[in-house]
Amino acid sequence: MALAFTLTACAGEPPPAAFPGMSVSGQYAYLANNFHLTKWDLNTGAEVWKFPATQDNNPPIGPFSGTPLKFGDWIIIGGSAGLNGGYDPHVYAVSDATGAEVWRFTGTREFVDGVVTDGKLIYAPSGDGALYALDPSNREANGEPRIVWKFQTGNRLWSRPLLADGRLYQASFDHSLYAIDAASGRQIWRFDEPAAPIAMQPAMRDGVLYFASFDGFAYAINASDGSLKWKSAVDAWVWTDPTIGRDLLYMGDVRGKVYAFDLQTGARVWYFEALDSIKAQPVLANDLLYIVSMDTFVYALDPSGVARDGSGRIDRNSIKWRNETLGRRLMTTPVIYGGDLLVPPLDGEVRIWTLNAKTGERGSRMPAAQATATTP
Amino acid sequence: MGNIFDFLVVNPMTNTMLLLYGLFNNYVVALVLLTVIIRLLTLPLNLKQMVSSIKMAALQPQMKALQEKYKNDPQTLSAEMRKLGFNPLAGCLPTLIQFPILIGLYNAIMRTMAVNPFSLLELGKHVYSFLPGLSSLVPINSQFLVWDLGQPDPFFVTPILVVATTYFSTKVTMMPTTDPQMKQTNQMMSWMMPVMFGFFMLSAPVGLGIYWVVSNLIGIGQYYLMKPRLELARAQHAAPTAAPTATPAAAPAPKAPPPKSKVKPKTTVRISKPSAESGKK
Repeated sequence: MALAFTLTACAGEPPPAAFPGMSVSGQYAYLANNFHLTKWDLNTGAEVWKFPATQDNNPPIGPFSGTPLKFGDWIIIGGSAGLNGGYDPHVYAVSDATGAEVWRFTGTREFVDGVVTDGKLIYAPSGDGALYALDPSNREANGEPRIVWKFQTGNRLWSRPLLADGRLYQASFDHSLYAIDAASGRQIWRFDEPAAPIAMQPAMRDGVLYFASFDGFAYAINASDGSLKWKSAVDAWVWTDPTIGRDLLYMGDVRGKVYAFDLQTGARVWYFEALDSIKAQPVLANDLLYIVSMDTFVYALDPSGVARDGSGRIDRNSIKWRNETLGRRLMTTPVIYGGDLLVPPLDGEVRIWTLNAKTGERGSRMPAAQATATTP
Repeated sequence: MGNIFDFLVVNPMTNTMLLLYGLFNNYVVALVLLTVIIRLLTLPLNLKQMVSSIKMAALQPQMKALQEKYKNDPQTLSAEMRKLGFNPLAGCLPTLIQFPILIGLYNAIMRTMAVNPFSLLELGKHVYSFLPGLSSLVPINSQFLVWDLGQPDPFFVTPILVVATTYFSTKVTMMPTTDPQMKQTNQMMSWMMPVMFGFFMLSAPVGLGIYWVVSNLIGIGQYYLMKPRLELARAQHAAPTAAPTATPAAAPAPKAPPPKSKVKPKTTVRISKPSAESGKK
């Protein structure tokens, strides 16, 4: 057995435990990856600060995952799940200026996908199955924000809710999508037709919510009452947030397929096949659909002009460009910044790559190569 | 390579584990059953390995004599060892074949417990889509009595049980030896292994610890079930030792062939039919 473990360990580097997230505000990018939340200056490529500044914290802080949220002068991020079942059950508010901790909220389990806000309250979905509404302007004696309300579901919440029209649409591992009144935390309706967990922030347009479940179906339901509009089959678990285009809905699955569905009917119009899982949300910009995959490649498709075979698989010629040079698994939704696509790899020395959004040509990296070389 | 290993070993185990969980709605029951199934499937390999160890232990005195005699002639030494029936691979091959199975089982447990997003994603990639309903079983209910199977044990019960069962398992299944050096190594191993695994279990999920304890208990049970056969094998190999020990020393020339009738590799192979063998005696 000892050899078994040695062999397992030698088979490759230990897998990361959760998915990194990135957001951009002004000229700064905030990246939550493994044990650090880092602020990067996109103009200079320099690291502004890192939270926590050191790793000798007791109890340990992190790991982090999900999309960092800018909330006034703070950056809000959730503690995430680690290897071997460990987790950090806190939501942290960090000073945007210095990277120092301002306050923390102590939950019971991990906050995998970050939080959302309406500008007043912070809505934090937890692995304990509860959605917490926190008021950071009203704090306890120990500095923790007060809980305004708590909405309990039957299983893990590993995705952020969608906040729209005073409602929160929260997906749960208890196979349901909930509509919750954001002010009171009261349930408005529950859609429980899926036969497996849902792990994504739904997308909404014209009063219709779009999402998929691990049960092998994509769903469109009416946001007003939770009634089903259509459902359409996929080939594997979908764990990407969906992207809505002009007429099509895009989402990717854990076996590497990206689907385009007709928004109105749910018919599968085409699909694209990468070599490994799609976890990051496809990004629609510059008339292109950008896809990053665990196969380490970045793809740019022209969604309006795809040629497809009889099965619906798109022709390789429909790929405008493909970058194969990053060499690391990609699981974070990329962000368009100026004319560049910011792509954070899952691991390795480089935290963020910039690619020319039109050509896919690799540009600068953060940290810069020189800085990396001199890092002890 | 990883994909092939996944396809052949880890995926079947992962999906069987989910099926069993679906049947019994209890992860511990599924884990115990899968461990029993795997242990039963690897039983012939276990038996072969133990018999081989017995044979090698029985050949120790002759091998020592040969090593002394031909210490400056490695070629002749290896030829003579082969004639004795010494096959270095016979002992390790069954063990080596078992390793991928154990690693596969370990991976299947870690995947199905899906304690973090990444392991759940890995599970999603490997769930059989032709078996409908498996996806609805995740995430598994990880609560068992006072434990969360996906978390390290806060009460340290699992690490203690792992240490205890690994100690007894190592002690019981260790082959007796007369070689003082081997004895010392065995003694060290009987402490090192439990301590190492116990230390690992301090930060490993309870579910993995349960697998370990069950696996050790089955190993101990298997040993006692196989004990009569192993004793028989020991007796059979003890008999031919006297003659071949003398053979190299008594041989007039180093390259003289040993008496063929005394050392037949087939005797080891036939140990799986103890009644027939003992009947002939």
